[in-house]
Amino acid sequence: MKSIKTSLKTLSALSLALCFFASSAEARTWTSTDGKPLQAIFLGIEGDSYKFKMPNGKEIAVPKERFIKADQEAAERLNRIGDDSYTKASARKIDALLAAGLKKEGFSSFNEPLPDDLFVRRVYLDITGRIPTREEFKEFADSARADKREALIDELLLSRGFASHMFNYFADMYRLHASDFNNGVRMDPYVNWWRDQLEANTPYHELIHEMITAEGNVGQNPAAGFLLRDTGMEFDAFANFGQVMLGIDVSCAQCHDHPFDEWTQSDFYEMAAFFGNTQRSLGYRPSSAMMGGASIEMPNAPEGWRNQFMKWAENTKGIVPRDQNSNEFRFFVGALGWNVTDNEGLETILPHDFRGSGGKPNEVANPRTLIGDAAKKGGKTRREAIAEWLIGPNNPRFALVIANRMWERAFGRAHLIPVNDFSDDMIRGSAQPDVLKFITSEMKRVNYDLREFMRILYNTRAYQSIATAEEPDWAEKYFFEGPVLRRMRAEQAWDSMMVLAHGSEIDEKQGPDGSFYKKILNIDFQTASNDDVWEHYEMWQSARGSRMGMAMISEEEGGSMSPTIFSDSELRASELPQPAPAASMLDTFGQSDRRITDEHNFDGSVPQVLALMNGTVTTRLTGLSSKVVDDMEEFDGPDDKVRGIFHTLLNRFPTREELDLGMGMIEDYGDDGISDLAWALMNSPEFLFIQ
Amino acid sequence: MDHIAELAGKDSLSRRYFMEMSAKLSLGVGLSVPFLPRNLKAEGGTAKNLIYIYLSGGMTHLDTFDAKKNSGVMGNTELLDTPVDKMKMGMHMKELAKQADKLAVINSMSSTQGAHEQGQYIMRTGYEKRATIVHPTVGPWAATLLGESGRVLPDSVVVGQSSSNAGFMEPRLSPLPIADPSGGVPNTDLAVAGDRFDRRMEMASKLGQQFVSKFKYSGPESYVEYYNQANKLLKSDELSAFDISGESNASDYGTGRLGQGCLLARRLVENGVRVVEVISGGWDMHVDVSTGTANKLPELDKAVATLLKDLESKGLLETTLVAIGTEFGRTPDINMNAGRDHYPAAYSCVLAGGGIKGGTVYGATDGSGKKVKSDPVTPEDFLATIGYGLGLPLEETVYSPTQRPFTFADKGKPVTKLFGA
Repeated sequence: MKSIKTSLKTLSALSLALCFFASSAEARTWTSTDGKPLQAIFLGIEGDSYKFKMPNGKEIAVPKERFIKADQEAAERLNRIGDDSYTKASARKIDALLAAGLKKEGFSSFNEPLPDDLFVRRVYLDITGRIPTREEFKEFADSARADKREALIDELLLSRGFASHMFNYFADMYRLHASDFNNGVRMDPYVNWWRDQLEANTPYHELIHEMITAEGNVGQNPAAGFLLRDTGMEFDAFANFGQVMLGIDVSCAQCHDHPFDEWTQSDFYEMAAFFGNTQRSLGYRPSSAMMGGASIEMPNAPEGWRNQFMKWAENTKGIVPRDQNSNEFRFFVGALGWNVTDNEGLETILPHDFRGSGGKPNEVANPRTLIGDAAKKGGKTRREAIAEWLIGPNNPRFALVIANRMWERAFGRAHLIPVNDFSDDMIRGSAQPDVLKFITSEMKRVNYDLREFMRILYNTRAYQSIATAEEPDWAEKYFFEGPVLRRMRAEQAWDSMMVLAHGSEIDEKQGPDGSFYKKILNIDFQTASNDDVWEHYEMWQSARGSRMGMAMISEEEGGSMSPTIFSDSELRASELPQPAPAASMLDTFGQSDRRITDEHNFDGSVPQVLALMNGTVTTRLTGLSSKVVDDMEEFDGPDDKVRGIFHTLLNRFPTREELDLGMGMIEDYGDDGISDLAWALMNSPEFLFIQ
Repeated sequence: MDHIAELAGKDSLSRRYFMEMSAKLSLGVGLSVPFLPRNLKAEGGTAKNLIYIYLSGGMTHLDTFDAKKNSGVMGNTELLDTPVDKMKMGMHMKELAKQADKLAVINSMSSTQGAHEQGQYIMRTGYEKRATIVHPTVGPWAATLLGESGRVLPDSVVVGQSSSNAGFMEPRLSPLPIADPSGGVPNTDLAVAGDRFDRRMEMASKLGQQFVSKFKYSGPESYVEYYNQANKLLKSDELSAFDISGESNASDYGTGRLGQGCLLARRLVENGVRVVEVISGGWDMHVDVSTGTANKLPELDKAVATLLKDLESKGLLETTLVAIGTEFGRTPDINMNAGRDHYPAAYSCVLAGGGIKGGTVYGATDGSGKKVKSDPVTPEDFLATIGYGLGLPLEETVYSPTQRPFTFADKGKPVTKLFGA
C-alpha cells in the first residue's frame, strides 16, 4: 500500500510541475510599495520574507515590508492554504467554457452577480454547513478589502466547519452508521476515521484505496469498516460500490441482464469477484453464492489462537461455553473477530438460478472489470488490483464521478443526474460537455484534493451568480447560468439552529469519537498475552455496563474513559451519533437513515413545519430568553433591532417594507414583538433555502 | 437509456409504456396485466381499511394461536379450547378465544429471516431487506395503487413508532408516525396563545411572500402548502381523531401502548384513515417466557378482542381488515433461561374482519410446533393476502425512481381461501 501512495504522489507532483511551466503566465501579480509588479507563484512565508517561484523556475525571497498592505494580507492567507494562481486560472477557464456553452444555447451570459449579503450566507452554508453569525455577517459586510470574497472562501475552506459539512455529505454517500450491528459490534472508529480524514483533507483516492484494501477489525484498522458495513450483504455491497465509485447502478444485473444498460448478469458477478475472496467477520458464513473451505480465524492472529484463548478463559476465568451468562464474553470475542481478511478458499459463484448470458449456474466467476482496460492482477491481491484499477488512469469514471458530485455540492445541480447512476450516453450528451471534461481533468490535476477543487468552483463567476429564478426540469438540459435554489440539508438546518443557540463556538465543540471502543478492539494478537486480552474484555464490560453505552465513550488522555460526553445533544450534526435517532430534528428534516446511498431527502412535511412552529427548538431559538432575542438588547431603536434580527436569521438587509412591518411589531408588542419577528423569519420558507 | 429517461420525465403514461416496452424487449417477458388505471380496485376482498397490529420481537406461536396437546413444548402454558373445534389457543387468550368465529388463524407461517430487523422488514414491506433500496410499507403502496384521498388527515398512520418513510415512493406518502398513542400528533400544542400565534403566522406569511414569488420552484411553494396544511390541522376538528382521551371505553382496550394504540387505530379508521399500523414491542422472550407471556398476552388479548367487538358494533368490521403479524415464532424447546429463542421455521399470524371467513384455521405445524406440515405461507404470501383483502392490484408494476420494477408483496400468493362468507 505504501508503494501505491508514493507512486501516486510522484505522478501528481509531476503533472503539477508540468502544468506549472505550461501556464506560468497565469501567476498572480504582486505589487511592491514603490509600485513595481512581480509576477510569481507564492511559495510561503520564511522568516520575514516571502518565497516566490519565478516564471523561469528560480526561487527568490523578498522581504515582507517591500509589499503593499493588500499583498501582505493576501500572503498571510495564501500561506495557510497555498497560492491561488492556478485556482483562479482554473476558475476563469470554467467560466469561459460555461459562457461559450451558454452562448451557443442563446443565453447572453450568467445570471446577475450575487450581492454581498447573499454571498456571505451562501458561502457559509455551502462551505461550512451553517449560516453565519450576525457578527460574521457584519464583519464581511463592513470589510473594505478588495479580495474579501476570496479571502472569506479561503478562511472557510480552512475552518473545521468545512470538514464537518463534508462529513455529512460523505456520511450519506457512504452510509455511515455506527450503532450495534450485532451484539456489541459497532462502527464508531470507522465513522471517526472519516471525520479525521476529512479534517486532514486526505486526497480522496487515497481514502478509497485504503478502504478497499483494509484488513483487520475496526479497532486495528478503522478503514475496514467500509467492507464490514455490509457484512452478510456482499452483493449489495458491490452494487453500492458501483453506485458511489463508478456512478453505475448495477443492482438489476444481480438477478438478470441489465434491461437498459450494457451490463449483463455475468458482468456483475465477474466484477463482484474482485471481492470474491474477501472474508468479512469471524464465524460468519458467506452467502450461498460463494463457496469454499473458509478457515475462520482472528485477524492477524497465530493459527488456533481463538480456540486456545477460549479454553484459557474457561479454565482460568470461569467462562462457561454455551452458557447465557457468558454471552457477553462471546460477544467480545465475536467483535474482535469481526474483521476483513482475504481467504483464498473463497470464490464468487454464479447463482443457481443464473439466467444471464455468458455463464452457467454455479460456475466460478473470474474477476474482470468491464469498463476501461482490465485490472491487472500481477502478484497483487484481488482487492489491491481493483483498488488500483479504480483510481488509476484506465478507469474513465473515478475522477468524473467525484468531480460531478462536488460540482453538485456547489451548484445544487450536477452535470450528470443522478450522480450515482448515469450511462455513457448521458456523458456524451451532457449540457456542458467541455466543462465536464475539464473539471474531470482538474480533479486529477489537484490530485483529488477536494478542498482545492471546491476552492476552484467557489471562485467562479458562475458560482457567484444569483440563483436561477425558475426551477430547471431534471429531465431537461441545464447550462449553469448560475446555481439553482436548494433547500438546506437537514444538517445545515440543524447546524444553523445550533449556531443561533450557541454562536460560532459550536464549531469547536466535539462529540464522542468512539476511541475507547477502538482501543478495546485494537489488539496485536502476535504479542498480546491472554491476560492482556482479558484486560480488554474488562474494558468491554465496563463500557457495555455504563449508562451511556459504547457509542458515547471517548478515550481520555491517560487511557481512562469518560462517560460524561454527550450530556446534551446540542452539538453540530457531524459530532452526534451517526445517524441521528428517529424523530430527532435531523431525522424529521430528512437526514438519511444510512440504509441506502444518497438517501438524504429535501422534501418538506407537516411534521417538519409543526416542529418549527411549536417544537422546543423554536422556543429555544426565538423565545424571550433565547440568545437571538437577548442579543438585541444592545440596540436601542426598533429599526436596529429589526435589522439585527434579519442579520441574525436571514443574513441580509431588510427591505423598507420589511423594516416597517418589523418595527410595527416591536412598537406594538415590545420584546414579545422581537420574539414574534424572530419566529416569523424562522418560519418563513426563506430560512430553509440557500439562494 | 437516455431517450427513455427523457421520455420518462414527461408523464407517467409514456414512462410506463417505455418501461414496459424495454422490459419486454430485453427480458423477453411481457407484463401479464394490461394497463390498470388508478382508483380502479382489482378483484379481491371487500376491505376499505387495514389495521395491522405488528408484534415486534417475535410472538411465541405455541403460547398463543398454535397451542399443542404435547405438554413437552408448552412450558407453563395450558391449552384453551375455543368455540371453533380446530382452533386451540394458550390460556391467556381468553377473550379472543370467545371470538374465534371472527378469526382466521394461519399456523403455517415460515420465514427465512431469523434476525429481528430483516424479519420485521419483510413482514411489513413484503420484500427482503436490501442495501440498495428501501421498500414501502402497506400505507404508501395502497396510496399509490388505489389513489390518495387528498384530505387533511393522512391516508396512513403508524402508531408506536417515532418516524416513518415511504421507501422509494414519494415522501409525502409516508405514514404519519405517532410514537405515543395517548400523545397524539407531536408539536400540535401551540407555543403561544392563539391570537399571538395567528399574528406570527400572518407575519411569517407576509415576510415570506417576496422570497416565494422570487423563485418559481416547487420547494418553497410546497412549504407554503405544508404551513397551510399544518395550520389547518392545528385548527381543524380532525385533529381530534388523534385524541383518544374522550373515549368512554378506553380502559376496555387496556391501558398499555398496545391497547391504546388499537383504540387510536379504531378512531382513525372511523375517521377515514385507510391504513393504520400499530407497532407493539416487548415480544422477544429469550428469558422466562412464562412471565413474559403472563405480562404481554393479556394485553394483546384484551386489546384485539375489544377492537373487534368495537368495530363490529360500529358496523366497521366488514370493511376493516385486522391483521396480527410478527417476524417469527419462538423455539418449541424452552432454553436454559426458561425462555424461547427465535424460530422463523414456523409461526402464526391472524386475520379478521374485512371479508375474512371467521372460524378458520389455515395450515398446520407438526405436533410440537416445530415444522410446517401443510399449506405453508411465506411473509410475501401474508402481505399479498392483506393486499388482496384491500383490493390492491397485486400484479401492477410500480417503478422506483431508479426504474426498478416492483409489485406489491413481491409476487406473494394471496391465500384467497380465507375470504368469503
